[in-house]
Amino acid sequence: MVKIGIPRALLYYQYYPMWKSFFENLGAEVVVSPPTTQAALASGSSRVVADTCLPVKAFLGHVLALADECDYIFIPAIRSMKPKIYTCSKFLGLPDMTRAVIPGCPPILDIDIDMSKSKRKLYQAIYRLGRHFTWGPFKVRRAAVAAWQAYLDYRRMMSSQRLTSVEAIDRLSGPPAIVPVRRAGSHAVERQPEQPPPRMTIAVIGHPYIFYDELISHRIKQRLEQAGCRVLTPQMLTGDELEAATARLVGRAYWTYEEEVVGAGEHYLTGGVDGVIGLMTFGCGPDSLMMDVLKRRAAAAAAPFMSLTVEEHTSDAGIITRLEAFIDMIMIRRRARRAPQTCA
Amino acid sequence: MRIAMPHMGNLYIPFKALFQRLDIDFVVPPLNNQRTLSLGVRYSPEGMCIPFKLTLGNLIEAAELGADTLIMPGGSGICRLGYYARIQEQILHDLGYNVEMVQVGVSQRKLVGILALVKRLSNNAPWLKIISAFRFGLSKLNALDRVEQAVQKMRPVEQTGGAANQLYGQAVAAIDQADDDAALRKAEAEYIGRLHRLDKKASVRPLVVGVIGEFYVVLEPFSNLDVEVELGKLGVEVRRTTFISGWTRFSLFLNPLGVNEKDRLHKAARPYLKRDVGGEGWESVGEKVLHAGHYDGLIHLAPFTCMPEIVAQNIMSRTREDIPVLTILCDEQITKTGMLTRLEAFVDLLGRRRRAKQLVGAGCE
Repeated sequence: MVKIGIPRALLYYQYYPMWKSFFENLGAEVVVSPPTTQAALASGSSRVVADTCLPVKAFLGHVLALADECDYIFIPAIRSMKPKIYTCSKFLGLPDMTRAVIPGCPPILDIDIDMSKSKRKLYQAIYRLGRHFTWGPFKVRRAAVAAWQAYLDYRRMMSSQRLTSVEAIDRLSGPPAIVPVRRAGSHAVERQPEQPPPRMTIAVIGHPYIFYDELISHRIKQRLEQAGCRVLTPQMLTGDELEAATARLVGRAYWTYEEEVVGAGEHYLTGGVDGVIGLMTFGCGPDSLMMDVLKRRAAAAAAPFMSLTVEEHTSDAGIITRLEAFIDMIMIRRRARRAPQTCA
Repeated sequence: MRIAMPHMGNLYIPFKALFQRLDIDFVVPPLNNQRTLSLGVRYSPEGMCIPFKLTLGNLIEAAELGADTLIMPGGSGICRLGYYARIQEQILHDLGYNVEMVQVGVSQRKLVGILALVKRLSNNAPWLKIISAFRFGLSKLNALDRVEQAVQKMRPVEQTGGAANQLYGQAVAAIDQADDDAALRKAEAEYIGRLHRLDKKASVRPLVVGVIGEFYVVLEPFSNLDVEVELGKLGVEVRRTTFISGWTRFSLFLNPLGVNEKDRLHKAARPYLKRDVGGEGWESVGEKVLHAGHYDGLIHLAPFTCMPEIVAQNIMSRTREDIPVLTILCDEQITKTGMLTRLEAFVDLLGRRRRAKQLVGAGCE
């Protein structure tokens, strides 16, 4: 059986169920790289110029981990998901860049997704991808329809049950097959026994590939939960909610993944949570602007907002200190608000 | 209504001509200087690129001079540039300037968009007047670029250091002052003639270096610390394909007719980079492939954190076509001494490489 490697990085967290369904319906086997390790990140970093962003370095580390384990590596070139709203250059150049910096990489399956062009172009692109496995256009069509359905189910699951991407992926398909070794219990989210009700709710805004990558995000989700916080993510909102919030703050989105940052940020800043944390990596082009939009919005709304920028040199201790300070700040604020009421 | 726009090279001269002819109040903020940069850096998000910071500095300085309508390029699908105006407007409002930002599409609806904008700003001047003013602005732009090309040729071979640059400064001022076509033609012819008549060093074949990379840092000498002048002082002839007049000629007039000057570059880049990555990333890779044979080296200019150029830089270092490339990342931290050291080392390397080639060539015969 043909083995397709999917790096557990970047758009994996958004689309993995869709891709998996598509390839499996075409009779291929899907393998996923293990969660990011320091070694994988270092091997990825060593291939590119220093100011390449951290998620791309991690991505290349994942490709290197998969290189000997599969026949093809799937790297889509996503240009736009909605007409005239484009992605960052690094997503566009990803297949070509990978090919250039990892010469020994297995053949790359790339597909150009550009929703600014006609539907026909999209169908042609999907068929061209499917033709690696079958000549039958109907088989490709069936696989594509099933894949789209899998994607919709996945999105609905996250927004209706308030699940994170990782939890939803685990529930939908069981933990993905990992090569080459699986560290016990490293990936699956351990269900803890009934916990006391959370002290506060904190929304963490940022791209899924930063937030769910435990190495890049320094396990910010787990740390917040340990501190007794309930954590909300942009994926827990529906597309409509995100779109409405984006429109309220900036009008039409400019970046493909703007809604999950600006839209989600605006949604959570206007209420429902005790604080919002903006999580970005150093050198991220779109985020440098979008987080600024959120900072200004938070200042105007006088809402607790902290922006965290992570990079290779960020240490656990630094993150912990900032998270603790943020939580303390919210508690102090809450007490200050309650105090005048008791006096009256 | 007082109109202003940020600087990029000499672009303010043609715009000044255009707006003067239409009796529009146009303010030119101070040319890029240390204060512009400091203002831009102070009020920009930290991860932004140098073009954002400098243009923001220009806009603040323009607002200080009383400008209330600011023109910024915009559009979609062109790296972060399309998002600049939104954020800059917010920053200016937060600083207490009551300004209106007007976006000019540089990715689609270019010519029509620009003309419609001029029509609006000029309080509905007759089309004939607008088109005549626009044409005059374009002639100034073309004249400036032709003079600059002559200067690029003369810098490495001039006998007295700095003579070409001195003439260039005078030529820019003369073109700026020309107020009709005859005066413009006369100024251009005079200075190009004087440049060609400068005393030349006897029989030198200067090293040829192509300057490629991101549009703004290539065209704005303040942001690249006059890299072309410094290369000239080192006796290197600079070639570059990016000129504003080239952009207007193709983007405004020829691209809609299906002629694309960049097709050649894209075709050359295709084995390594198959698709447009925004900005000038695709073109940078193409230029390396295309010029590997006949330039001695390339200087690749990119703003720090520029997304398209990072992709280009990663791919460029792996192409089969072999030509030395020096990437210079421009930001507010770059220093002249640091850059000069790197340029000197690079030029030494190129000189040695050429001598080694000549020796091999001679040895074969």
